[in-house]
Amino acid sequence: MARPDPLAGFEQEFHTINGVKTAVLTAGRGEPLVFWHGAGVWHGFNFARPWTEKFRVIIPFHPGFGASDDALPMSDMHDYVMHYLDLFDVLGLDKFHLVGFSLGGLLAAKFAVEHGHRLHRLVLVGPAGLRGKEQPKGDLFTLPPEEIPSMLVSNFDVIKPYLPENPKDLDFLGDRYREGGTVGRLLWEHPYDTKLPRYLHRLTMPTLLVWGEEDKLLPVQTAELWRQHIPKVQFQTFKGAGHLVLDEKREAVDAVQRFLS
Amino acid sequence: MSGDVRFDFIHFMHYTHLPEDHKKYASLWVDFPNKHFDPERGRALYERYLSELVLADKLGFDGVIVNEHHNTAYSLMPAPNLIAASLIPQTRNAKICVWGTPPNLEYPNRLAEEYAMLDVLSGGRLEVAFPLGTGMEYWSNPINPATARQRFQESLAIILQAWTQDGPTKYYGDFYTYRYLNPWPRPVQKPHPPCYIVGTGSPETIDIAARLGFGYASVFVTKQRARELNEKLRRTAAEYGHQMRPEQFPLQVITYVAETEEKAREEAVDHIRYFFEDALRTTPTFLAPPGYLSVEQLKARAALADKLHGKFSFDNVNESFFVAVGTADQVVERLEEWGETMGTNHFVFFGAPGNMPNWKVVKNMNFLAHDVMPRMRARAASQHRVAAE
Repeated sequence: MARPDPLAGFEQEFHTINGVKTAVLTAGRGEPLVFWHGAGVWHGFNFARPWTEKFRVIIPFHPGFGASDDALPMSDMHDYVMHYLDLFDVLGLDKFHLVGFSLGGLLAAKFAVEHGHRLHRLVLVGPAGLRGKEQPKGDLFTLPPEEIPSMLVSNFDVIKPYLPENPKDLDFLGDRYREGGTVGRLLWEHPYDTKLPRYLHRLTMPTLLVWGEEDKLLPVQTAELWRQHIPKVQFQTFKGAGHLVLDEKREAVDAVQRFLS
Repeated sequence: MSGDVRFDFIHFMHYTHLPEDHKKYASLWVDFPNKHFDPERGRALYERYLSELVLADKLGFDGVIVNEHHNTAYSLMPAPNLIAASLIPQTRNAKICVWGTPPNLEYPNRLAEEYAMLDVLSGGRLEVAFPLGTGMEYWSNPINPATARQRFQESLAIILQAWTQDGPTKYYGDFYTYRYLNPWPRPVQKPHPPCYIVGTGSPETIDIAARLGFGYASVFVTKQRARELNEKLRRTAAEYGHQMRPEQFPLQVITYVAETEEKAREEAVDHIRYFFEDALRTTPTFLAPPGYLSVEQLKARAALADKLHGKFSFDNVNESFFVAVGTADQVVERLEEWGETMGTNHFVFFGAPGNMPNWKVVKNMNFLAHDVMPRMRARAASQHRVAAE
């Protein structure tokens, strides 16, 4: 069976941002909603299609992912914040909703503490980046590539169509290795942002925190670290969902939509 | 061409006392539990392995080579300079070759200091090779594999500056800042000890060697690829204005010599098997931490990984890699042929593979020293005379 097109329903355009070719997916009409993806893009953005009924959904590929070019000089998360300031200028985006998932959630939080006046509302979905007292259970870097997908979901059937039949498919492995290298450049030495908690009080815009209750990578208890530091945060969890809560639970997608509407 | 032939003996100092169920571990690197290291047995192995390298010097080998690996039963040498230092007073003539510490895993000034100490202590017998380090080293050390190559280049530049420019000098880099780069002592050999790059032939490492006029030791590449690499390095070095010399292409050969070919195989093959099947056993994830390889290299390595780390077949290994197991005649013949095709006169014997016991290593070394090396030296010298006449 052919794999579904992970980009179906979106138009892709390219912008050169500070020398880096950056792919941007868009669909829908309405207030702008920017979604920042996590450390893997192979499962696509089909989950976001309901949002396009009410919003202009804008999904850029971070440099080093998908159809965007690599950017070796971008070596920390703040370089990505700067990249997006440039991209938003080019797109003419002044104020918008921001939804960040996992790595993209960490990036969204970092963007929001600095540029919160540009956000109507903020949604953090299973955000990465805060260090708890206990050693982390899952460390994506240490997992063999073929074991990663099942770490990400509660119900494997949800993502199975996006995976190649041969788990050692060289092109698939190569694409994942490229993503790993991008994340490695950013987070290998310091997987946690130890300074971010000091600044999270600046998230004064309406903020929603979403988590899958069966998240094996970042257990739902991790949410407490965020809730401690964000003054007024709404918190919703979803049963029967792992880390990829948006892919697994339409209810989570709808909850985000309700929060933003 | 010089009439000299050079013979080195390399030792990997495997820790061979593995638990009976060790096959259940996918890797003997990185996460192989270190409870399996027994210090008393480790001490005995150090004593034995050092004695083998000291014997190499006594038997007239031109160099002894040690190297560095971390978190692994493959190697007892996470700090090869300690081994080199202990060899210096026990050896007289052999070059002390440290092949070596990845310069990006250590503060570069510290490495420049340690190597200078070894050069001074040995009266100028030190030779150094700079590896990037295997992927496994980056799971065991707190250095980012994704920026390893840039850090490698910067570290190397700092070490060379420390050795060749009168201090104090300054260095303001991307990774390191030195306001007073002024290490004591400085090396005996000028401008610095002979240097090599160790690598598996990535374009970056070839280019570094070519630019700096360093030698290049390719490791774990097939014969075909090694030939291509030597050719490429010769061409690239020439573009940088460096004429590569044959001795700058050390050729590592798994060698075992015995009375007959059958006997040589019978005595050596199990230990070579151990080397490939067990000592080198690791996982694709450990081999390629994030960003350590380009995506193209990752795919290419996936193919070679089966040869290096998969099911052992002596015939495959014998066919793919530089392996000379047989009588002295056969070994001489093969080495001379490879010397010709590879354009080198510098042979590195890997003659203590895997769990080979001391008596075989000593026997092998004696055959090499008495029946292989003198004949090749004599033949090279007579060719040299003919050429001179």
